[in-house]
Amino acid sequence: AAPGYDPGMAAVTQQFGNMAMGGAPAQPGMMAPQPQGMQTAHTLNQLIPVDLMQTPFDPREIDAPPPPIVLPANASLTPNPNSNCPPQYMRSTLNAVPTTHHLLKKSKLPFALIIQPYTSLRDEEDPVPLVSDTVISRCRRCRSYINPFATFLEHGHRWRCNMCNLTNDVPQAFDWDQNAQKPVDRWQRPELNYSVVEFIAPQEYMVRPPQPLVYLFLIDVSLASIQCGLLATAARTILESLDRIPNADERTKVAFICVDSSLHYFAVPRDSTEPNMLVVSDLEEPFLPTPGDLLLSLKECREGIENLLGKLDNMFEHSKNTASCMGSALQSGHKLISSIGGKIIVLTASLPNIGVGKLENREDKKLLGTNKEVSLLQTGNSFYKSFAVECSKNQVSVDMFLFSSGYQDVASLSNLPRYTGGQTYFYPGWNASRTEDAIKFAKEFSDHLSAEIALEAVMRVRATSGLRMQTFYGNFFNRSSDLCAFPAFPRDQGYVVEVAIDETLGKQFVCMQTAVLHTTCNGERRIRVMTLALPTTSNLSDVYASADQIAITTYFSHKAVERTLSSGLDSAREALQSKLIELLSTFKKELTVAHMGAASPLSFAANLRGLPLLFLALMKHVGLRKTRIVPSDLRSAALALLSTLPAPILMQYIYPRMYSLHDMPEDCGIPDPTTGEIKLPDPVNLTGERVAPFGLYLIDDMQTQFLWIGSQAVPQLIQDVFGEPSLDMLRMGKITMPEIVDSEMNLKVRNIIQKSRDYKTKKVGSIISPHLYVVRQDGDPSLRLWAQTMWVEDRTDQAPNIQMFLAGLREKVGSA
Amino acid sequence: MDAEQQKDIWIAEEERDGVRLSWNVFPLNRLESSRLVVPIGVLYTPLKEREVPQPPVQYEPVTCKMPCRAVLNPYCQVDARAKLWICPFCLQRNQLPPHYKDIGPNAWPLELSPGYSTIEYKLARPATAPPIFLFVVDICQDDDALKALKDSLIMSLSLLPQHALVGLITYGTMTHVHELGYTECAKSYVFRGNKDYQAKQVQEMLGLLTPGMRPQQPMVPGRPQQHLPPSSRFLLPVQQCEFQLTNVLEQLQRDPWPVASDKRPLRCTGVALSVAIGLLETSFPNTGARVMLFSGGPGTEGPGMVVAPELREPIRSHHDIERDNIKYYKKAVKFYDTLAKRSAHNGHVVDIFAGCLDQVGLLEMKSLPNSTGGHMILTDSFTSSMFRQSFVKIFDKDGDDNLLMGFNASLEVLTTKELKVTGLIGHAVSLNKKSVSVGETEVGIGNTCSWKMCGITPSSSFATYFETAAQAGPAQPQQGPQKGLIQFLTYYQHSSGQYHLRVTTIGRDMSGPSGDPSIAHSFDQETAAVLMGRIAVFKAEVDDGPDVLRWVDRMLIRLCSRFADYRKDDPTSFRLDKNFKLYPQFMFHLRRSQFLQVFNNSPDETAFYRHVLNTEDVSNSLVMIQPTLDSYTFDEPPRPVLLDSTSIQPNTILLLDTFFHILIFHGETIAEWKKVGYQDQEGYENFKELLELPKEDAKELIADRFPLPRFIICDAGGSQARFLLSKLNPSTTHTTGAYGGVSQNAQTIFTDDVSLQTFMEALMKLAVTGTN
Ligand SMILES: [Zn+2]
Ligand SMILES: [Zn+2]
Repeated sequence: AAPGYDPGMAAVTQQFGNMAMGGAPAQPGMMAPQPQGMQTAHTLNQLIPVDLMQTPFDPREIDAPPPPIVLPANASLTPNPNSNCPPQYMRSTLNAVPTTHHLLKKSKLPFALIIQPYTSLRDEEDPVPLVSDTVISRCRRCRSYINPFATFLEHGHRWRCNMCNLTNDVPQAFDWDQNAQKPVDRWQRPELNYSVVEFIAPQEYMVRPPQPLVYLFLIDVSLASIQCGLLATAARTILESLDRIPNADERTKVAFICVDSSLHYFAVPRDSTEPNMLVVSDLEEPFLPTPGDLLLSLKECREGIENLLGKLDNMFEHSKNTASCMGSALQSGHKLISSIGGKIIVLTASLPNIGVGKLENREDKKLLGTNKEVSLLQTGNSFYKSFAVECSKNQVSVDMFLFSSGYQDVASLSNLPRYTGGQTYFYPGWNASRTEDAIKFAKEFSDHLSAEIALEAVMRVRATSGLRMQTFYGNFFNRSSDLCAFPAFPRDQGYVVEVAIDETLGKQFVCMQTAVLHTTCNGERRIRVMTLALPTTSNLSDVYASADQIAITTYFSHKAVERTLSSGLDSAREALQSKLIELLSTFKKELTVAHMGAASPLSFAANLRGLPLLFLALMKHVGLRKTRIVPSDLRSAALALLSTLPAPILMQYIYPRMYSLHDMPEDCGIPDPTTGEIKLPDPVNLTGERVAPFGLYLIDDMQTQFLWIGSQAVPQLIQDVFGEPSLDMLRMGKITMPEIVDSEMNLKVRNIIQKSRDYKTKKVGSIISPHLYVVRQDGDPSLRLWAQTMWVEDRTDQAPNIQMFLAGLREKVGSA
Repeated sequence: MDAEQQKDIWIAEEERDGVRLSWNVFPLNRLESSRLVVPIGVLYTPLKEREVPQPPVQYEPVTCKMPCRAVLNPYCQVDARAKLWICPFCLQRNQLPPHYKDIGPNAWPLELSPGYSTIEYKLARPATAPPIFLFVVDICQDDDALKALKDSLIMSLSLLPQHALVGLITYGTMTHVHELGYTECAKSYVFRGNKDYQAKQVQEMLGLLTPGMRPQQPMVPGRPQQHLPPSSRFLLPVQQCEFQLTNVLEQLQRDPWPVASDKRPLRCTGVALSVAIGLLETSFPNTGARVMLFSGGPGTEGPGMVVAPELREPIRSHHDIERDNIKYYKKAVKFYDTLAKRSAHNGHVVDIFAGCLDQVGLLEMKSLPNSTGGHMILTDSFTSSMFRQSFVKIFDKDGDDNLLMGFNASLEVLTTKELKVTGLIGHAVSLNKKSVSVGETEVGIGNTCSWKMCGITPSSSFATYFETAAQAGPAQPQQGPQKGLIQFLTYYQHSSGQYHLRVTTIGRDMSGPSGDPSIAHSFDQETAAVLMGRIAVFKAEVDDGPDVLRWVDRMLIRLCSRFADYRKDDPTSFRLDKNFKLYPQFMFHLRRSQFLQVFNNSPDETAFYRHVLNTEDVSNSLVMIQPTLDSYTFDEPPRPVLLDSTSIQPNTILLLDTFFHILIFHGETIAEWKKVGYQDQEGYENFKELLELPKEDAKELIADRFPLPRFIICDAGGSQARFLLSKLNPSTTHTTGAYGGVSQNAQTIFTDDVSLQTFMEALMKLAVTGTN
């Protein structure tokens, strides 16, 4: 036997077999029952039907964990509680997988994985166990990585693949350290204990040596950019963030191209600390003005870079140029870094109006709200698609930071991030002279630069035989049927993979394994591997009882964006409504006892109770709602977020949080004496009915926060919170929360706002720092109406309230 | 008057008026004129500096009515009482201006005084801009050469007038236009090296067409916002940008683009020039400006390239051009010709300074300096003193500290009715001006009476050619001998910033009836040789070499048939007058010269030699055609000797001046002694002195010469001696053997060229047969 192998281990693991994964389910309002006493291995979550008309949705349910994954005993190699994948990394729409395609189809439920390989911007905030000896054991046939759900055979000499059943040799190094010439304990290996691990990859995993981190900044220096203060703020933020840009291996490079009607390159010659500006005005074919000195080593050229950033603003202060050749800049920038790869960060306040990929102002108010609106949401110039493919091929990723005060064609520009693993950040009407604007952008941009992105990444999902990864959603390029390419892998995005059941699943549980092969920003080639095991069932009620409404909503959010861009907004909204009717009808037909028919309740699984409201919220979301007043740029930016945000943020973006502050319990807004965490009040339903005219509320969709003040708010409340004697003295709109000495209420409100921006507790990474608006119930109508669009349970011109919506559903289901 | 006295008079006239004529008496009619064989011509040096400088007058010239516009001159008849003057060119009467009311025999204005046949007016019209100097610098050079060039350029800033505008363009693989007015950091606009940019594109890309790109001036209270042209970002007064420009020049690095070992560096000379010309033409049309190209090698990239980057492909030779098998030649010539036209049209000079052991493409680019009156300087490297000193000389100044260069000039020729101008040969372009003075035939640039020369210096000399009008008719009754008059009007931008007009009016007697011997006596063989030399070179630019040689021979034989003294068919009776005697010899050397025998030189060298010939005055041109040779030996003063192989003697030192080369040749014995080192030993001071003397004389020659000649010191038998041998008349070749009168010690030249003696024998034979 191999040294260290303990044949008794199997017995130990058995004892842990019944432990449900996913944390404590006992949450207020959450009706999923806990199994009483000992349960058999095959008893999955129990289906609990509820009448949607009688049991209103409780907003707290959104934060509840998904239905427990009930695996058979001995499913994993070790009893380690981390052996199955935590939901923040991977969660399935179905925590009980139908054994057949037929059953899945019958359920009308989607089968998809929600994947978020990173849960923070930096490793230190959420370290993952690391396998650093470059011994990587993979199945010879299906190339899966050994994981806690594999099984050891033949006294531990061999292991059986839990995906394809092939028996593979166990590497000698699992038990014997060749260098130290001594035995080692294989059970110390993270990949046998943890479902989420990272391997340091050996040479074979590299096509070329790990690339350094490269940031290329394309900065708009046209009149618009100078006037709104973008150039100055961007330059200062980069300058102040130089120490935050990952550079542990001291290989990080940066480059700058300033863009108006010309391209302004900056070279810092090797023996100099002074930048040299090289202007290229020939936009027909991009070319580099000099073969070197444009990609600047962050360490070696630090002084030159600082000198450049220090005077970048002055360099263009007199420019009156109103043109932007950003398309040509992208092409030239690509040329500059394509041999290495890297990140192009576009900072622009203009519509690219000359050169390659030039765009026109397509905005047409007459089309808004009509079925022709979709044309405005589609790409205006095919360059932005074809060039994206080119970028992906050369490991170049593009981020867009957009600031235009006019039309900017976000629809076209967002294509580049979409296919290259980047992101589109939209700052409509931004102006640096407003402190809030300057601070928001500076903070977000700086955080963005500090993120430990991965490079040259590919993501592949493998699964137990019989399952097949069918469709992928998210910002990347789908290079082959099951391979997603990311020139840069961000840490603040989520992905969705739809899974098909091709064969009958004979096993008690199935596994799905996501592997992200990447280069860290510090020059290490690594593979992040996440393995999720799910029980199977041939029982439709099990499928419904273990369905995850958050994962399902996430999946349909991606579907809705896809549908919008292909067939239009009406079609996307209709598809959402049809899906609800389909699910409710199926539930009624297949899973409801006939005698309940008389009362005609709208019956559904308790664990899916939020679905109608979440779908309604999605249909009313700024990205999808029927309206004539949302400019297409705003719409496109919202669609970009709906298809990229990781699930916890996405849920709040769809169904914002509202907290009642004037009457919050004593212990809210102050640190919990034991954990030190700020306690938030319970969220309330998003309806004006819950808003008192004398109250103060925080409404937060994580992109924007509103402090709603009732028209009858007492002066004392205003004094306590804002330090102003009366409501009339209070500045409305975008504000920075004032600090009022000796006001406990002010402190609490600030704490709550602070806490609401804490992504760590949400187990996601994000750079978003929402604007805070003060809104008066009887104040500026446009601001008020905006805030009220968050009350998704209420009726609007174009959409019903939740009661009417449910009644409508019941009607349709009844007649179905 | 004997020939020597004649010549003295001509030289005095040249000193005063800057003119030398082939014939100093004009034939009476067209038939006579054509029988002269050598055309009537004037080699005119418009800005010639007099030994005693004559300052310009500070008033406006009095001119004849339109369209004549002749300027009042000493040949005019003036009726002081009636306040009238009669224009000798159009015979119109003109009123004298009111402020001339007090003139009379005791108070003639200067322009009517006999000593003022040449007078310069400083006009009230100022130039629209100060002179502009745009450096175009090749950065594909090794560090030493680039360093030397940078030093020369930085030094030149101190030689420029402080208000002159300067700009900098550098090129290699790409072209960079440096924005000297930008102070935040070094900034340049970059153009692809391989793209043929249209003028408008250049201007757009430099932001010259968008007002938004103008440099912003900080508002100064109480002073109106200055409206500077957009180009002022690139072209600034020296005093304003000297620091910035010096900085940029000092920071200049060799072209950073990598060059494979089997390749030439990529050099986009064509794009650099086109950008330079494009920059100037929008902003400063018709204003004095110089584009100064400093080329370290051939263009290998983009429009105007002359050779491929691959080293295995050699740069074209005369043979290649003759066989018409070079890819780039015609395209490049066309490209640069177009640029030259644009540049000349706008009054901008293009100078080419080549610093390269190999060719740089002067042949292809020659129309640029040739059409614009630019300099062409061919040197081995920018480290050479030949470059450094020639370059400095361009910035020579007059006594008032003004640069000795004129800009944006035009030369107009007026003639009395007996004469017509047939053309001009020199660095100029036609202004296509028709007048009654324009003749029917065409020599050089003809069909016009006016030419433009963007750049002009005190040594710029132009050959102008004339014919006698077809219908001269009977002479008008006139007092004294009838004179033919020519007036040269040179209008130019003086480097002081004012426009000047130089007027030279010359008159020469018309000959008597047919057979008047005064015509033959008025023949200036030196000037004739130079004027014929220019025509021969002009022909050689378009015709085949052998055709041109045959033309030279035919003209010589015809001249001799016409003016020699001989009995028909008796060569031994052949005699030439003194003022014709040297002419055949000049033609002999012209035939052998590098101007017409191109195959021993590279095409670039040919372009260079011909360019210089078309610039210089009679005496310098003559040295180029027939070099001078002086002999130095013990106990004798140095003396000129025949340009003949017999002049090579073991115990003499020879000093050869070909204008382009100055060579000191040590005879065999001298060389041996020198080798032993006698010059350093006591008691041999005279040997040391002998060695030094030609060096001193050479130094003196070099001092005034532009471009600086190559200086060679060589010994008999040394490899450098071939320079001397190639210039000598091969009286003793390996085929002639020794014969009486020729020293046994004389150098034998291995050549198949005919000797002067053979040439003369043939000439005499042909001249006397009268078949021509
Ligand atoms: Zn396998
Ligand atoms: Zn007249």
